[in-house]
Amino acid sequence: MSEPSVKTPPAGIIPRTLARARRVTFLTLVCLGTLLGTWLMIRFLQVSEGYRNAKIGLLICFVPLFYQLNSGFWTALIGVWLQNRPKDDPTDLWETIEDDDGPIDASTAIIIPVYNEDVSRVWEGLRVTFESLQKTGHLKNFDFFVLSDSDQTNKWIEEQTAWLELSRQLGAFGKIFYRHRRKPINRKSGNVSDFCRRWGKRYRYMIVFDADSLMSGALMVAMTRIMERNPGIGILQTFPKQVASETLIGRLMQFAQSLYGPAFMAGLNYWQNGEANFWGHNAIIRLDPFIQHCALPPLPKTVPFGGHILSHDFVEAALMRKAGYSVRLLNTIRGSYEEGPPTLIDTLKRDRRWCQGNMQHFWLLFARGWHFMSRVNFAHGVLSYVSSPLWFLLLVFTTWLAATPGDVIRDGPAERAGHLLLGLTATLIFMPKFVILLDEMVSGRVFKPLKLRMLALLSSMLDTVIFTLMSPVMMWFHTTFVFKIITGQGVKWVAQKRKLDGVDWREVILTFGGVTLLGIAWGIVAWMISWSFFLWLSPIFVSLTLAIPLAIWLSSGKSGQRFGLFLSPEETEPPAVLRELETNLAEVKGRLQLPPEIERNYGLMQVCLDPYVNGLHISLLRRRKNTQDSSEYLDEIADKLIQQGPQALTSREVNALINDTETVTDLHYRLWSATEHDLAPFWSLAIKQYNLAATHPFTHLLARKNPPLAPVST
Amino acid sequence: MEAVNIQFAPATGTDQEWNEAYARLADYFRSYRLHNRIRRTQLVLESLRRASDAHMKDPSRKPVALAIDEARKMMHDWLGTVYHDMHLTEPQIEAGGRLGFYISDGPDRWPLHFMDRNFVPPEMSGAMREAVRTSGPSLQVSKMTPRDMDLGFTHVAEGTFEGFARQPWMRYTVLAVFVTFVFFYVYRLLQ
Repeated sequence: MSEPSVKTPPAGIIPRTLARARRVTFLTLVCLGTLLGTWLMIRFLQVSEGYRNAKIGLLICFVPLFYQLNSGFWTALIGVWLQNRPKDDPTDLWETIEDDDGPIDASTAIIIPVYNEDVSRVWEGLRVTFESLQKTGHLKNFDFFVLSDSDQTNKWIEEQTAWLELSRQLGAFGKIFYRHRRKPINRKSGNVSDFCRRWGKRYRYMIVFDADSLMSGALMVAMTRIMERNPGIGILQTFPKQVASETLIGRLMQFAQSLYGPAFMAGLNYWQNGEANFWGHNAIIRLDPFIQHCALPPLPKTVPFGGHILSHDFVEAALMRKAGYSVRLLNTIRGSYEEGPPTLIDTLKRDRRWCQGNMQHFWLLFARGWHFMSRVNFAHGVLSYVSSPLWFLLLVFTTWLAATPGDVIRDGPAERAGHLLLGLTATLIFMPKFVILLDEMVSGRVFKPLKLRMLALLSSMLDTVIFTLMSPVMMWFHTTFVFKIITGQGVKWVAQKRKLDGVDWREVILTFGGVTLLGIAWGIVAWMISWSFFLWLSPIFVSLTLAIPLAIWLSSGKSGQRFGLFLSPEETEPPAVLRELETNLAEVKGRLQLPPEIERNYGLMQVCLDPYVNGLHISLLRRRKNTQDSSEYLDEIADKLIQQGPQALTSREVNALINDTETVTDLHYRLWSATEHDLAPFWSLAIKQYNLAATHPFTHLLARKNPPLAPVST
Repeated sequence: MEAVNIQFAPATGTDQEWNEAYARLADYFRSYRLHNRIRRTQLVLESLRRASDAHMKDPSRKPVALAIDEARKMMHDWLGTVYHDMHLTEPQIEAGGRLGFYISDGPDRWPLHFMDRNFVPPEMSGAMREAVRTSGPSLQVSKMTPRDMDLGFTHVAEGTFEGFARQPWMRYTVLAVFVTFVFFYVYRLLQ
């Protein structure tokens, strides 16, 4: 495709005058709000009476924080206004397509990069997506790629068997593909680039999934049509809604996202226009410009938190925009879903990764050639984490000023400025929620039945309390993350936990013990300063002090669902894809389980014992020539595996074995040929138990659909 | 299908050893998802019979090892007939062949012809041959090369000034703000 011309922008690129008018409106409102707040703060601090360092420090922290508050406030308010505006939005992408648009010409790859993920969830998710697409009648235009970087042997083998079984059950050989990389170079972005290099030319678009993503076929078909009709769009991002949470924190996020999310998205769409962000998944990408322009350059290793870019999505969006294509946000209420972390600790672990990625964007802020809005997006990303240390410092300066009042004498205007500032801050924090709730009460936009709207009102009040308690804890952890990242303590790439498997009290106490002590100490200091300051600061130190019970409560299954609290439309009226996924996963969970020691090494056991899994693994493995030394080494560890069991081997040894075709073939026969006496107890038990659990379906991790569907014509 | 002689009286080895071999073969063939017990029994007995012959020649090896060896040979010969003209390597025949049988739904559709060298229904061999798969569609390689990115601060400053140069009203605004600030500061000094 030729690149969009500057003079006549192709469909999908918002006219420059309109985009500029919207941006100017938004930024003017935000800047005026920030200026007003800053002026009130200057008046309140009586900076002119004496330039104490603490005052200046407090002011420096205050300005970006107030900017951020204003930015959220105006985004939400503009969003609510847009939702209620009788006139259609001229930039609405849904208006560019019609229901009966006929056949699609474009070929689209749906890619699912995975890294040691829950195999059942990934492949059952793929199954319902596949079937949902099949129902639209457009399946022939879509291929699926599971791109694995899993380095845990068991996960790898289970992924292979899941691919085989699902393709067999759905008759989808030639539609669903599986690729495993031995070396996960450049992590997820490297995984996606590898796909682009190998198969990118075959497809016009790719839809990127996360391991926990789920999308309806109808939405994917619509996205493809929108891309076809709007050649100026490079990336089209949907609004993925968080679903399937079981814990309080997960359901709280789900509820908040359902109720407040659409207004924020509408507002974001208003001022971001064609320079929106890519969030890494649940989006469709035009492959040709992506391959040409969006390869990620590494950051210099000499700068702090440099090297490989972790949060690749923002950068890819900026590169796409730089290449002349727009990045658009698609207003989606249904059809695009993801899952969130189940506990507070898992949320923090995820935030730590994101924090490092966003901090890296600091170096890109000043790079040459970005669109102005791409710089704004980078700055907002950095600020979303830097705001925590700024808030923390603001509180420290406040405590210091309260403890050493010095020559500060409050006069009438300063008092009034303080009261006004407090009122303005409260308005900026609570007004968007209030307005969105009011809109919901009147319009029933999210919940139609009155009872559900009332429950949403109650839930919203409760979530305000819970988020108020959570915020100082998050602030403290984000502050430590920023500090650690600046001092060069990087993050490891770990698989994200997406389901609750019990609250680990020890981990909670160890993680939040320090925060509790900080809260108590701060409370004592505040008490010693004055009673009024103690009361003023109480929301902060009370939250910090209660961090341990709060973390346990948030991570528990007592999420208020029984009382109808924190409901989301996906819970009250689950869409077909979610309903089917839940049914399938329940069936998988209900299946016969093997003894725990076998379950832990299920993949390894399968590849060694099962003739089909063994054959599959060897077929998918790249054949290499072994040297004499490596053959001896592999023989040695194969003996150890047979005689002592998998627990005697390091993960590196297991990996070495499993990557060698000859050794894997030999192991299969050597294990079956060994006498009871020569086998480790693990293998004796495995040989006896395996056939009980693995008759049908092929892998115990997947539910089987009967009868298998007819093969798909490609 | 060959007639199977169910009389089994090995000349060498102990009963315990042959029982172990029997149990292992039964488990082994069950792992092929062969739900047809008659066929499974036939294969177990055939493997045992061959293993007992082999044990007479080499009593140093355990019957269980010989039995699995024989099963492997039988499988290898059978797959060799199915894939004889497909120019596959030995390991490809062994691994891919087993997989082909499974993918073509062999265990459910043709259990009685599993490892039957004398007669493989054409439909079965066709399905097995069709089912040799790879992990992805054929490659269509493209280049995805990162472009250099200039992170220099000086260029940003340069770019900003260039921007100013293109927008006269911005230059005048900055100048006006600067002049106002200077006048205000001088005024404060004079107070």
